Amino acid sequence: MSTVSVRSLTKTYGQGDLAVAAVRAVDLDVAPGEVVLIMGPSGSGKTTLLLMLGAMLRPTSGTVTVDGVELASAAERDLPPLRARHFGFVFQDFNLLSALDVSENVELACNLAGVTGRRAQERARELLTRLGLGDRLRFRPDQLSGGEKQRVAIARALANDPPFVLADEPTANLDSAHGREIARLLRRLATEDGRSVVIVSHDDRLRDIADRVLWLEDGEFRQLSPAPDPVSST
Amino acid sequence: MRGRVPLARRALFQDRRRAALAAGGVAAALLLVLLLQGIFDGAMRQATAYLRASPADVIVSQRDVRTMHMSVSALDPATDDAVRAVDGVAWAEGLRYTTTFLVGAGDRQQLSYVIGYDTATGRGGPRRLSAGRPPGPGEILVERIAADRLGLRLGDRVGVFGGTFRVSGLFHGGTTIANSAAFIRTEDFAAGTPSAYVLVGARPGVPAGDLARRVAAAVPGDTVQTTGRFAREEAALVRDMSADLMRIMSTIGLLIALAVIALTLFTLTLAKLREHAVVKALGGRTRRLAAVVLAEAAWSVALAVAVATAAAVVLGAVVGRVNPAVAVAVTPAGVVRVGLSALAVGAVGAIVPLRRVVAVDPASAFRRAS
Repeated sequence: MSTVSVRSLTKTYGQGDLAVAAVRAVDLDVAPGEVVLIMGPSGSGKTTLLLMLGAMLRPTSGTVTVDGVELASAAERDLPPLRARHFGFVFQDFNLLSALDVSENVELACNLAGVTGRRAQERARELLTRLGLGDRLRFRPDQLSGGEKQRVAIARALANDPPFVLADEPTANLDSAHGREIARLLRRLATEDGRSVVIVSHDDRLRDIADRVLWLEDGEFRQLSPAPDPVSST
Repeated sequence: MRGRVPLARRALFQDRRRAALAAGGVAAALLLVLLLQGIFDGAMRQATAYLRASPADVIVSQRDVRTMHMSVSALDPATDDAVRAVDGVAWAEGLRYTTTFLVGAGDRQQLSYVIGYDTATGRGGPRRLSAGRPPGPGEILVERIAADRLGLRLGDRVGVFGGTFRVSGLFHGGTTIANSAAFIRTEDFAAGTPSAYVLVGARPGVPAGDLARRVAAAVPGDTVQTTGRFAREEAALVRDMSADLMRIMSTIGLLIALAVIALTLFTLTLAKLREHAVVKALGGRTRRLAAVVLAEAAWSVALAVAVATAAAVVLGAVVGRVNPAVAVAVTPAGVVRVGLSALAVGAVGAIVPLRRVVAVDPASAFRRAS
């Protein structure tokens, strides 16, 4: 089973008197099928932590181990394939490629994971249909609503069939109805597919779908709170 | 079937107006180079028209004279017979040759090479007449475009060598923006005028190169070249005359193309930096993004070369109609040359965007869009 294990993870920006610790000696384990919600005030280090979890930012010290692979010590050239193999990313701003249609946005992620041609097209169609976008395959991102864009982004995050999904404020740009829809979708990824989902957000509504809620403040987890039963919340 | 999502093509043509402007800008610059090159290629073709049509295998000229254009050649009167006696020579014919002005209606003048040839064999004359007949005593063949310039028709009289000749026929090919050619009987050159060149035909089975070596041994004081070599020397002379101008204009054209390509790629890359970061975050390697930028450059260049080539062909035809003396020869080799130069320019134009793409931090995909 795929796991993420974080030990004494620290990220410090700057040096000497100007040094600022964004994340301080954080420990975290995420189990398969678990949804972990990390909340906290702005500037608390949530996104920095997410970037280190996703192999996009090297920690100052500590370790991030994904399926036995230590990310912090991995060579720079190995990081892109690690990301393509292990992670799916969901962004606050959706970050769909505006020049590509809906299907191509998902196919591109397949391509980056090594799946090309008809297999990539089939995979994209299958995922988008599953997320209720089967009739939007040839639409451009600017022809979609916010909720539809985020569903495309989730389909793209699943294109490489990743064991881990990292979501940065996935409901921030959505109205409440679409926000709830996306929250339920993220929950399903964990419950039905057994993926580990880590969400960084200010959105209290996401508490309902989380197995654990962590409060990050000044770079440290201040309290751990149990979440409602995720099954009943879906 | 498509293998990978064509990211470069999609990005480049997402904004069709921008793509059209960019391709149009580069195409306009390349058109300048193509047209200029076409004009000089056309001039070269016209300058060698007589030689390319000649039945001769070998041409003898005065020592160190290797061309007809811009040249004066005078051979010893015994040269014709000496050449005829060489083993492997089927025939040898002396040409009289000089440069003078033809004076037409209303004192219009045309600089022209006047060639005196044996009208009985016709070997030294134009290959085909488009009107009239070979010249008799006191008659002349004039090139059609030159005849138009001079306001001449068959039967008109034209001033040559201080006297007048009657136009007995017209032929096509050989008039450039600078000069033309005309043909008269050998006997109509002043008595005692020596042959300027000797055209030599080989017996069947004798290669031109071999014949040239044999003739050279027989007339060691003269220059002997195969007709092919002679035509290449002629073309090289035209090329050398235009080389500096060509180089300057081509450099200007390519610099403009470089500026347009570089600006297009740079603005496109800047506009897509966040999307490049997203691709990196999703696991895209830097080399894939670099390939996207290079593919955008290649697409821009390919489109521009295609547009420029089509425009050059059309403009060449228009120029040829407006001024028949200017032949624009847009050749496949010329297009390939311009295309390769444009590709090199595209690669240079992609350097700065490439540096930006290489430096893109995948983490920037997580920054809030403004």
